Amino acid sequence: MKKALQFKRELQNALRVGWFLAVRSLRRSSKWTTTLIIFIMILTFLNLVVVSGLLLGLISGSFVAFREGYSGEVIVTSAAQRSYIENSQNLIAFLTHHPKVEDMSVRYGVSAQILGTLTDLPGKNERANQIGIRLIGIDPVAEERLTRFSRFIMQGETLRENEEGYLLIGANMIKKYSAFADANIPGLDLLTNIDIGDRVRVSLSSTDGAIRKDFIIKGIVKSKVDEISTRAFITDKELRRLIPVNKNEVQEIAIRTDEAYAPALVQEIKDFMGNYAARVQTSGEAIPSFLRQVETTMGLLGNALSSFALIVASITIFIVVFINAVTKRKFIGIMKGIGVSPLAIECSYIFQAMFYGIVGSAVGLLLTFAVLKPFFDAHPINFPFSDGILVATPESALLRVVILLVVTFLAGYIPAKIIVRRNTLDAILGR
Amino acid sequence: MIKTEKLIKSYGKGDLELTVLKNLSVEIGKGEFVAIIGPSGAGKSTLLYQLSLLDMPTSGSVSINGKNMSSLPEKEKTHFRLRELGYVFQDYALLPELTAVENVALPILMQGVSKKDALRQAEEALARLSLTDKKHNLPSQLSGGQQQRVSIARAIAHKPHILFADEPTANLDSVSAEPVMQAFADLHHEGQTIIMVTHETEYASKAGRVISLKDGVVVSDMKTA
Repeated sequence: MKKALQFKRELQNALRVGWFLAVRSLRRSSKWTTTLIIFIMILTFLNLVVVSGLLLGLISGSFVAFREGYSGEVIVTSAAQRSYIENSQNLIAFLTHHPKVEDMSVRYGVSAQILGTLTDLPGKNERANQIGIRLIGIDPVAEERLTRFSRFIMQGETLRENEEGYLLIGANMIKKYSAFADANIPGLDLLTNIDIGDRVRVSLSSTDGAIRKDFIIKGIVKSKVDEISTRAFITDKELRRLIPVNKNEVQEIAIRTDEAYAPALVQEIKDFMGNYAARVQTSGEAIPSFLRQVETTMGLLGNALSSFALIVASITIFIVVFINAVTKRKFIGIMKGIGVSPLAIECSYIFQAMFYGIVGSAVGLLLTFAVLKPFFDAHPINFPFSDGILVATPESALLRVVILLVVTFLAGYIPAKIIVRRNTLDAILGR
Repeated sequence: MIKTEKLIKSYGKGDLELTVLKNLSVEIGKGEFVAIIGPSGAGKSTLLYQLSLLDMPTSGSVSINGKNMSSLPEKEKTHFRLRELGYVFQDYALLPELTAVENVALPILMQGVSKKDALRQAEEALARLSLTDKKHNLPSQLSGGQQQRVSIARAIAHKPHILFADEPTANLDSVSAEPVMQAFADLHHEGQTIIMVTHETEYASKAGRVISLKDGVVVSDMKTA
């Protein structure tokens, strides 16, 4: 007990004297050196937060695009082996009156063939200018509210409510616009020689025989979400007129709600519908699993790069403190000689190292959240498969600050300990 | 007050072993001003380091106030040095990043005194050595003589029982050395125990007792007038 009290008193005094020495050492040290060390700490912090954040952001950007441009926070689709959501009109009524549902878009869908060339018949050994596609019927007003659909129009115009005879087609289905046009993928024959204003023929399979109708291409839609770029869209009213049966059964309902509430809403819908009537998922669950694996890989890669940055930073701080302590070895000896405790001297070096770590982290945090994150949110990096954003949350950044400070603490403490433990007289005499 | 018995200090091993202090026994009483003199290599500074607990003897003992200090652990020695001993080094040994008053306040602060009181005591010690107007100067802004007086102020500010000085005037010209020696004389008159190593007989004569060493042994020990 007595020993513990004595240690506490010694520690308090060592902290006080260490602080006294550290403040004066920092205040009177070279401004250039201090600035350089802090600059290194800022770079290290940015390396910890921004590099991994950008790597994760490549994938997270695609998740955000998927949620905002297609799925909403919750998406209901047909159950496996079913062609539509069972009792979908009841579900729509349930969702319409649900207080947590902010918006929704009901989509109808059928498989279809689009014939691009209507005038010339193909030659004997030629394939028709035709492609299989998913034809989606949308309510243009509801879709615009949910996904701001018109932003995906790269050519032409979007659909209007009650419009007939017009069709939007995904850019990846037309050779002229497709990102895969140059790829020699067996079996992938894109539509050629068609553009805005051209007439195409849509064929739906039915038990009564094929249903055919000609449409004029009103617009080309392009997005980094495949569900938009590889589909064709007409108004829901027109699609329901075309299909002979199940006119009121829908294939997709994308729902906007509070992101935090999404899992609860999923459960409520499952409770309402039963487990087998539809597949109900949050946006995150609906994302293909390979993308989740890519996200994990990117996270690991980011952590590996961050670890290297951390090692470099710890070595830098170690060297700085070690050189600082070695050059002041004589003065450390003198301090010990006049009775300053080794712990107080070590505390002084730890405080100095922590100062570099804290200022570097603080400036790094400021740069991350006041400059870089807003910048990347406003100007995402344009990758072929996503709009890369910077993923940085206060929690993850704080964790990295703690890691950096722990490493800084050790990098300050260890060299100080090595120098301070040397023989007092040898240090004073420079032996 | 301070006593050595059969003190031996050797450096190196085997054929390279060099014995600097050879069975040296001295006794210094409270309030004495002792000068240790001798030619280079006589063992003056080595003796001082043993007396001031900065170094460990190879054999023999150093006791202060009847307590054998040689067997004390390093931590307790550091505590003892802080509370009971004061040091004046040949090259002043001031910390370059602290002002004069901060240098003097450091050991007082280490004793657990509040910063305010430590700085006040440091200012009083500087005033005794006529350095009030230099208290906020860094060591680099002071002359050699002024730095040595700051060093003395630091050594006496916490009112140690014994003051050790290792060649305090060696780096000073006679003009600068005079006030330094005067400071020691004043402290001695106030009852301060001082043990000073010097090679300058002129300054040694200001002490009350002169111990002369040669080749690690005491060749004379006499009181001055």
